Amino acid sequence: MKEYKLTTPVSESEARGLKLGDVVYVSGHIFTSRDMAHLKYKALLESGDPLPKDFAGAAIFHAGPVCLKQPDGSWKLQLIGPTTSIRMEPYAEMVGKMGAKLIIGKGGMGDDTLAACAKYGYVYLQAAPGCAAKLAQGVKAVKDVTYFELGMPEALWDLEVENFGPLVVGMDSEGNSVYHSLKKAAIEKMEKDYPL
Amino acid sequence: MNEQLIKQEIHDAIIRAVTGISDDVKGLLEEALAKETNPTAQSMLSAMLENLSIAKAADKGVCQSPGYPTSWLSFGDGNLPHDIKSTIMEALGEATKKGYLRPSIVDPLTRENSGNNTGKGVPNVEFEYNPGQEYVDFIISFKGCGAELGNAIQIMTPAKLGKDLVGLKRFIIETAINAGGKPCPPFGIGIGIGGQMDMCAKMSRKAISTRRWDDVNPDPQLAALEKELKDEINSLGIGAAGTGGDTVCLAVKMERAHTHTAICPVAINFHCWVARRAGVRIYNDGRVEKLL
Repeated sequence: MKEYKLTTPVSESEARGLKLGDVVYVSGHIFTSRDMAHLKYKALLESGDPLPKDFAGAAIFHAGPVCLKQPDGSWKLQLIGPTTSIRMEPYAEMVGKMGAKLIIGKGGMGDDTLAACAKYGYVYLQAAPGCAAKLAQGVKAVKDVTYFELGMPEALWDLEVENFGPLVVGMDSEGNSVYHSLKKAAIEKMEKDYPL
Repeated sequence: MNEQLIKQEIHDAIIRAVTGISDDVKGLLEEALAKETNPTAQSMLSAMLENLSIAKAADKGVCQSPGYPTSWLSFGDGNLPHDIKSTIMEALGEATKKGYLRPSIVDPLTRENSGNNTGKGVPNVEFEYNPGQEYVDFIISFKGCGAELGNAIQIMTPAKLGKDLVGLKRFIIETAINAGGKPCPPFGIGIGIGGQMDMCAKMSRKAISTRRWDDVNPDPQLAALEKELKDEINSLGIGAAGTGGDTVCLAVKMERAHTHTAICPVAINFHCWVARRAGVRIYNDGRVEKLL
């Protein structure tokens, strides 16, 4: 288990160098995206229109922050933490094609993501769940917000971050998933303890 | 009955609920950290406890997601508070404006956000009338919704329950394995058994949202099942955050009701470790006791 400090944009070789259990801190920019933003990207890609951000080497965070609008019109981030990533499983291939190298969330993702991690060279990072006050300390500023009409959680927030983490590599680009291996072992134990 | 006192106590309970987690769950997290042997799980559990301190010191919410607010209100003869929903809605609006709660309640089909954490059917309030009860009990719980994704319901049958309830136990354990890291473990599990589908679902939420997670069920059969299932689920190695470790489950809480002879409905309801809930008992004579 190694510790890495990465700055966005992250290269494919940097992402491929990350192994299961490694600890990562991210600096640079993080783009929040959840269900509705992913649907927007899908529609834009299908119609051939440009995406709102350059996702090459990007870190996509499955999250919706609490932000308060300041008197000068800027945004102040109060809280941010991961949302359950499996909802974004249908976009495994799409985010790979978009060029994202770090997907940050909680709870892990499925087989399609694991395959896309290997194909496109990206990794899935687990953030500490429910730790929104602690994770917010790594966010230095809100650069801007896109799709605010979708509501505060569903908007695309471009966040300037410094040593954002700790994040643990839960799925790497070599076909390894801590979630898959734990699930397999757990089912085996249940079959032994409670045979039908 | 002092309407003003009730309004104030309900308001205060809501603000208390959104700015911290209940003491029983914090104690269980500390116990889990003390006995954890997996380094990743140790760092996750430490981060959770540190997060509680940071949120408290900075007067912030604990988690960015406000979850979904449900309240339970029990009352006796002549002490049902007037227009309780408005009181709750005002407090929710205030907590949202102050940044304790992210506006997160939307129409299920249009996905339009109401902006103030209320809407059609929200907040949900469950009323219970108990003849002769000389106090009002109010509990509010904000349950995270990533946790909902792991939930399951099954209308079991006598055959499916199996010998020594092995079928029931496997359904619960398997559901916990499939949920894995999704419900922000270490989680609590509420299980409703009996009634019809609607009743067992309501019992599952009530069990995990209104009981202390460190209590013992007064029903001896359920107490034994709660302990057996919690120990087995923890022994599976899923761990805090679902990335491996010794404690994935802080509590299993069960409630039962009689059902029809043909069926046994079972609802399994996960609760993240961020147990934001608070409760008060307000006596008719004005005395007030903290419940959660």
